[in-house]
Amino acid sequence: MPVKVHIHLTHRRFTDGKEVVEAEGQTVGECLNHLIQQFPGMEKAIFAKKDKLHNIVEVYLNHASAHPNELAKPVKDGDEIHLILMLAGG
Amino acid sequence: MLTPDERERYDRQILIEQIGPEGQEKLKRSRVVIAGAGGLGSPIAIYLTAAGVGMIRLIDHDRVSLSNLNRQILHWEGDIGKKKVQSAATKLRNLNPGIKIEAIDETITEANVSHLLEGCDAIVDAMDNLSTRYILNRCAIEKNIPFFHGAIRGFEGRAMTILPGKTACLRCMYRGSVPEEKFPVIGVTPAVIGCIQATEVIKYLLGIGQLLTNRLLMYDGLEALFTEFAVNRNPECDHCGQIK
Repeated sequence: MPVKVHIHLTHRRFTDGKEVVEAEGQTVGECLNHLIQQFPGMEKAIFAKKDKLHNIVEVYLNHASAHPNELAKPVKDGDEIHLILMLAGG
Repeated sequence: MLTPDERERYDRQILIEQIGPEGQEKLKRSRVVIAGAGGLGSPIAIYLTAAGVGMIRLIDHDRVSLSNLNRQILHWEGDIGKKKVQSAATKLRNLNPGIKIEAIDETITEANVSHLLEGCDAIVDAMDNLSTRYILNRCAIEKNIPFFHGAIRGFEGRAMTILPGKTACLRCMYRGSVPEEKFPVIGVTPAVIGCIQATEVIKYLLGIGQLLTNRLLMYDGLEALFTEFAVNRNPECDHCGQIK
């Protein structure tokens, strides 16, 4: 069973409107790369450059912050990744 | 001691088992700083004033403009052009003349933040930018004063409570600078998040309930969904990492 990646509303225009995308990999980074293989528009949406997420992108693994070193965090089948955007307004 | 008028004013909340007259007296003795008198600051200030928090220090450097009025409910059409803290203080004093409102028309900076937060029991984040939030976060940690974070954008919001040296701080989640923007927002979003922050402050001051510590509460108004994420202290955090 692959990992479920929950897509933020802002990014769903890159995933054909899908809220959840299944991805495979041994780490968060590998899963995100598999997500990008399926939906190439997600690359610029979440990565500032290779292996560097935008500062505004937060990654949660199984409802817990994966920060720091998010991309290296190991995952197993059935895990859930949430991609969330930082908020700064008030 | 509560006066007869105070007993009547706060009667319905004194009836709450976890508050009672002793809790109401604690609120009366409490001093809270609200940093920002805008979208988040409005509901926070209104509900802490109504609840009878004894002293509220409201800090904001801005003036009221027409484009504020969709969400900053302490400010009305006739207040356009006035200083926000003055506009807010007038309404809050009318709502509850029995508490003290300090209106401070200043920009929060590294240089003045320690003075601005002096002598308070809680600091509430009602800012509209991350850089000032980090100034407040650092000073709250240095002074060992709880910091109540909230932020919003569009229909989304988040809240987290920070007990310095004990729970994850705002900076524990820091990934680097983020450009400031003219953020989209509808008034109901800061209303929801501001009320959550005010609830957290009241719970903390009374020592009741379960705080949003090490728990980031995310609100999605479009989906009518609250989601909680665990956040832990980052030992490498440049604000709180050295505190044992």
